[in-house]
Amino acid sequence: MRITHKIGIASAAFGLAFAAPAARAADPIKIGVIAETSAISGVGIPNAAKMAAEEINAKGGVNGRMIEIVDYDDHSSAADAVRAFQRAAQQDKVAAVIASYISEVVLALEPWAGRLKMPLITPGAASNEITKRVHDDYDHMKYVFHGYLASTQLSDVVCEAGKALMVNDLKMKTAVIMSEDAAWTIPLDEEYVKCLPASGLKVLDHIRLSPDTTDFTPIFNKIEGEKPDVIVTGISHVGVQPTVQWQQQQVPMPMYGIASQATNATFWKDTNGAADGVIFNMVAAPDVAVTAKTIPFAKAYKEKYGSLPGYAAYQSYDEVFMWAEAIRKAGGTDPDKMVEAMEKTDYVGTIGRIEFLPKDNTFAHGMKIGEGYITGLMVQWQNGNPVTIWPANVATGKMVFPAFTKLPQ
Amino acid sequence: MIRSRTFQLAVPALIVMALLPLGVDGYILGLLTLAYYYAVFAMSWDLLFGFAGEVNFGPSFLIGIGAYTAALLNHYWLWPIPACLVAGAFAAVIAGAVLAVPALRLTGPYFGLVTLVAVLLLQNMIVLFAGITGGEIGLDLPDVLSIDDNTNYYYALVFMTVSGAILFGLAQSPVGLILQASGQNATEAAALGFNVAKHKLAAFCISAFFSGLAGAMLIFYMGTASVGTVVDIAVGVNVIIAAVLGGRRTIIGAALGAIFLIGAGEILRPLGQLATFVVSAVALVVILFFPGGFMGRILQSGGRE
Amino acid sequence: MLALQILIDGFAISSLYALGATGFTLIFGVSGVLNLSHGAIMVVAAVIAWWVAGTFGAGAYLGALAGVAAALACAFFTYSVIVRPIQNSGAIPKEEKEIFVLTGTLLWGIMLQEAVAYLFTDNPKTVRPLVDGVVMILGVRTPWNEILTAALSWGAIGLLYLLVNRTRTGKSLLAASMNPRGLTLLGFEMSNIYVLVWAIYGILAGIAGVLLGAFLGVSSANAGTLTASAFSIVVLGGLGSVSGSLIAAYVVGYLETMTAYLVSPSIRTVPVLLLLVLVVYLRPQGLLGRR
Repeated sequence: MRITHKIGIASAAFGLAFAAPAARAADPIKIGVIAETSAISGVGIPNAAKMAAEEINAKGGVNGRMIEIVDYDDHSSAADAVRAFQRAAQQDKVAAVIASYISEVVLALEPWAGRLKMPLITPGAASNEITKRVHDDYDHMKYVFHGYLASTQLSDVVCEAGKALMVNDLKMKTAVIMSEDAAWTIPLDEEYVKCLPASGLKVLDHIRLSPDTTDFTPIFNKIEGEKPDVIVTGISHVGVQPTVQWQQQQVPMPMYGIASQATNATFWKDTNGAADGVIFNMVAAPDVAVTAKTIPFAKAYKEKYGSLPGYAAYQSYDEVFMWAEAIRKAGGTDPDKMVEAMEKTDYVGTIGRIEFLPKDNTFAHGMKIGEGYITGLMVQWQNGNPVTIWPANVATGKMVFPAFTKLPQ
Repeated sequence: MIRSRTFQLAVPALIVMALLPLGVDGYILGLLTLAYYYAVFAMSWDLLFGFAGEVNFGPSFLIGIGAYTAALLNHYWLWPIPACLVAGAFAAVIAGAVLAVPALRLTGPYFGLVTLVAVLLLQNMIVLFAGITGGEIGLDLPDVLSIDDNTNYYYALVFMTVSGAILFGLAQSPVGLILQASGQNATEAAALGFNVAKHKLAAFCISAFFSGLAGAMLIFYMGTASVGTVVDIAVGVNVIIAAVLGGRRTIIGAALGAIFLIGAGEILRPLGQLATFVVSAVALVVILFFPGGFMGRILQSGGRE
Repeated sequence: MLALQILIDGFAISSLYALGATGFTLIFGVSGVLNLSHGAIMVVAAVIAWWVAGTFGAGAYLGALAGVAAALACAFFTYSVIVRPIQNSGAIPKEEKEIFVLTGTLLWGIMLQEAVAYLFTDNPKTVRPLVDGVVMILGVRTPWNEILTAALSWGAIGLLYLLVNRTRTGKSLLAASMNPRGLTLLGFEMSNIYVLVWAIYGILAGIAGVLLGAFLGVSSANAGTLTASAFSIVVLGGLGSVSGSLIAAYVVGYLETMTAYLVSPSIRTVPVLLLLVLVVYLRPQGLLGRR
């Protein structure tokens, strides 16, 4: 069947011949997954989705139908992603799509989800705009769900943990915000500026850097000149390079906050160990039983793919189960009924208990956060391993910093 | 001779293209819609390179100016689509002229570098003024051409056909011949009494007009304007590869190259990340072994020369 | 204090730019080729160095050696499979060879970049530095690695200088860049000189790639930017002029560093681009170029 497709596209592309649409068996329920597989944060998305599908199928599938994951590589480009999304909806007839960890890509897909009435969820993009659009234009955008924390929610987690770790434990008083110039950091920074002082960290400066930056020396020197106690990060497109340069230049203050690349298992190797001491946010970690499902998933993933899952993989895994559940409840793949069923989700996944916020909330179709739901973790790279240090009730270790770090006395 | 041969090939191909919506499903049409807009980018580029002999490394500067002008007008002032398209095309012409007037004094790699830098500057400006331009997120547009695949397909097909016909006609006209002469030997052309600079500037402006217009059409098809779709260097690189692959100095070949490039990228999608590698390798082989490109090959096998 | 900091940081990055651009301009000088796979070759060198040093536990030195060797292999491939066939091709008109070489090397660069992304992901990699630790220079904390980067860059450029000015082969190379036809008349085989210049280029690009990988870290996604920056530096300095490129590398390096320190790190490259446009319009032959 794949071959018929190929010939079809080939002949059409050259305008030489007609190709009849290939006949399709109605059997499996298809779920499209769009992500860049050569990016470490991206490759976990299809991998984890396939694991979830196998598990569902092993138990008999959904309403007797198997789940099939169809994956598309978008090279992290919005244009490629839109094409992949159109293909998923119109050619491959998927029932729902799980897409990308990049806000720019998800925001480009969002109008198409509305136009093509295709249920869509993102396992890793953070922009507030995603849920804001659902809130502002519910009738068109209701097909979109946000399966990861919004930027503002991420800042809140960092601030709350910062109060315990930085202010109470380490007696810190001041911070400089260092974040990359991108869509998702605009609300992140706005919230940092508000919530860091509330937690007891005075914000001395707020530095935004181009995501294309390769030489971070001037940035670190500038920060050091301002003598903060800690650097609060908001980085995702960059990560390896600032970390390595931070260690090489022996910048004396810790890096703490959001650093998506640091969530990947290979980060230690990519940085040659420079990651030692870096503290970053995750919603689930391989060493913490956030729920009973977290550790078994991380273990099974490592067994299957050879490395621990990156941050988006956890959500991607849960999202396949949630779509399957929504299809089961809706009794089929009618998009409007699926959305209705998805809105009633109450599911305990690898990242916590997931419920979606109602349409009148500013974070409409975003996840509910807080005690008993999604809380978030702070994790630190220590000696080659990610160690969870916050919240205290699930922590598996204490903070340890490299020798060049100077903590306030 | 070329005209009749090209004509014989183009008409049946266009008829088949026009009938395609009867036979294939929406996804393939969507793909071809995109390919047709790229075809216009590549044909405009070919007019400048193949005929005027100027290597424009920054086709996406002109495309991007057209696209973003249209996008801003639609996003903030809700101008109707046709008005946005016209404004986009003219903005590209003005930007093109501003760039070209001093740049056309330069030759070879210098001209290329200036056009390349223009793209980088535009990209920097868009990201820098993210508050207005949407930065890396891009701008979403309240209006789209249509959400119906067939309608979109015909818009693109008609647009490509008309632009192609105009560009092709221009290239075959006396103006085109003067351009070709000045591209190959500017001194000689000038000695024959032709104003080389004026003709090249005209070629640049025409190229800018169609690039800008196609860029604006493309974003109204996609529903968003973003750096990655219309400004990024990679967009320009694809345009250049398409034109050289299809056969430079043929105009129509550029369209063929663009359709091939988009089609091949899609057929090879199961290869995932390797798709781009394979497409580049195929293009490299064509360039090394069939430097005339597809169209050169077709025209030759038809017994020309 | 700030001035000193800019002076030191700018110096290291500029030295690296200089090394990267030297090979690029040498090839243009001798054979008129602009090699657009330049950045990708640097990336290959860095990633191979990272891979060999890390995965096989071969250590930093062996890794660096493997990286340079990989770049050398890529350079030879670029020359013998892409550049030479195009230059010798009878089917391509003379005035269009330039665009074919540009397109061909561009495609080859994309292939290298995609291959690296496929095999090693596009996550940035950092080559383990040859030396660790920091030293205080007049109150500015400077990593040893930064000093070593500058020293090795200049060491490589110095060796090139000796080669070109002190050896017979080197002198023929210099002559080739000035007047290829004259050299052929004297009985030199141009193809030998081309092979030599591509070998020198490969080694220089390899060293630059490995050092960049150790100093800043490199991702396959950087290939385009690296090519563009070498291209800009070379044009700024004057195409084909090695000393012009060296000066231009420092102008670019310091301008970028100053912008990052004094204005904002997010517009780091903008002043350089503007300067470039200005120079190309006002003095298209570049700072030290011949017309």
